[in-house]
Amino acid sequence: MNQAEIRKLIPAIRVAIQSKHRKFSNPDGPEGRLHKMRITVTDLIQNERIELKYFRADEARSYAERLIADAIKYGDCHRPTMEMANYWLTEKQLIHKLFKVLVPRFKDSEVSYTKMHKAPNEYPGLYADKVVLELRGNPFPPLDNKPVSTRNWIHNVLLEEARREYRQKKAAEMGMEEGNKEENTD
Amino acid sequence: MQPFNRRLFLLFLRSHNHVSKRLLHKQRITNASVQKKRCDIFDKEAKRQAALITNIEKIEVNYQGQPEDCTLIMNKIISTPYNCAQHLTHAILERSVLAEVNGKVWDMHRPLEEDCTLSFLHFRQADPYYVNRAFWRSASIMLGAVLEKAFKEQLYVELCSFPSPNVRTGSFVYDADLKMSDWKPTKEELRTLSGEMVKLSLANLPFERLEVDAKIALDVFADNKYKKAQVPYIAAQSESGNSVMLYRVGTFVDMSRGPLMSHTGHMGKVSIASVHPIEVENGQLLRFQGVALPKGFLLNHFSFGILEKRAEHLNIGRVPSLPVVDNLNVKKQGIISAK
Repeated sequence: MNQAEIRKLIPAIRVAIQSKHRKFSNPDGPEGRLHKMRITVTDLIQNERIELKYFRADEARSYAERLIADAIKYGDCHRPTMEMANYWLTEKQLIHKLFKVLVPRFKDSEVSYTKMHKAPNEYPGLYADKVVLELRGNPFPPLDNKPVSTRNWIHNVLLEEARREYRQKKAAEMGMEEGNKEENTD
Repeated sequence: MQPFNRRLFLLFLRSHNHVSKRLLHKQRITNASVQKKRCDIFDKEAKRQAALITNIEKIEVNYQGQPEDCTLIMNKIISTPYNCAQHLTHAILERSVLAEVNGKVWDMHRPLEEDCTLSFLHFRQADPYYVNRAFWRSASIMLGAVLEKAFKEQLYVELCSFPSPNVRTGSFVYDADLKMSDWKPTKEELRTLSGEMVKLSLANLPFERLEVDAKIALDVFADNKYKKAQVPYIAAQSESGNSVMLYRVGTFVDMSRGPLMSHTGHMGKVSIASVHPIEVENGQLLRFQGVALPKGFLLNHFSFGILEKRAEHLNIGRVPSLPVVDNLNVKKQGIISAK
């Protein structure tokens, strides 16, 4: 099977993936690492919005994306998909949520299924970058505020008037110069 | 020669009223003494008005805004929007400059009069027109407060008025009579005035508002010929036809139509840029101009320099005209000197 056909089998992940793998070293070895990742993915599917450190969030995000994409593509009658869901979701009720709630929600989605926001650091603290990871279309109030127009803020009003005055002055000077030139040519 | 007997002299003064009047008239008045007198009258009137409220009634205030819409039960004619904000979050209390009560712009320290809807206005809204205007007006009042305090005691500064606040003119203004028409301030002197403005803003003084009778306003401004002449006109323009709005910030009392911002701490970067002599009908005044930004608006020194330079040009605001007292068609003529 050539490269192009393999790509059709696996739905593309819609978020950027780091080329270098992350170790997430764990006393229990790779198994422990995967177990912790399972907990994070389960948390995300269950709570729809979680706050955690950047590296774990970025890693867990792509697993969650793949899980949802598979569920949308193959549905709940596909054995390998069901096994994957069974593996990644430690709480078994969430398998129903994945197929009955999230698949209809994201069926026609054109963009990624999850969203990541930067979160403030705790002070004093360890200053590890924190983020908020959420599923799109969750019921919580939106995190990204609508941008407010700053045009009428006082400093912009003052600067705009200063600019206008400067341009008027320049235009008047240019006019004067042209007038002078005309007089000279006469 | 007989030694000067002080007691006898005072007795003589008491019995001869006309002599004592002339002597007292010649006593030098200073800004400090006048300010003290004004504050005393202001406090007395505020106390009198507070004593008029005998039974406390409750009103329902529907707050709309962050963090959530809610209903507050407040005291009628006692509670202010500032008090309402104290029940909400600290951030809202800090950033609110004005309140909007039943769709009308309202001072933060003006008592609420009836059941109302309430929201707060601040500098970083999409369209902060009223807030900017109130900021400019407050800056003028603060400049007046600084002018009365900054000069030496021998100099009796008589403030006149300031034109309607317009941010687009690039500078806030106060016209004052310094009794020195040819005074040209040095850079250091201007910087000192700016420093006094900063001190005032750091003091975080509230702008207290009090609506008084024209008679009391005349008492307050008895020592200022300009304000005294303006009082009947401002009173005639008021809704009741006989009231004047007084504002007090620290020891400084002035009249203004308002609204003003909640406290002086909202002012951030400020610079008094220039002083221009202006001709009025009977004499000459000095027009003090400055430019300011609210606290938290960070502008680099180059951009602020542009604003400072622009504020050096004479402000195009209306030159104060002394109204003719027997003509009461004020609204048609539009003689409003202090706004």
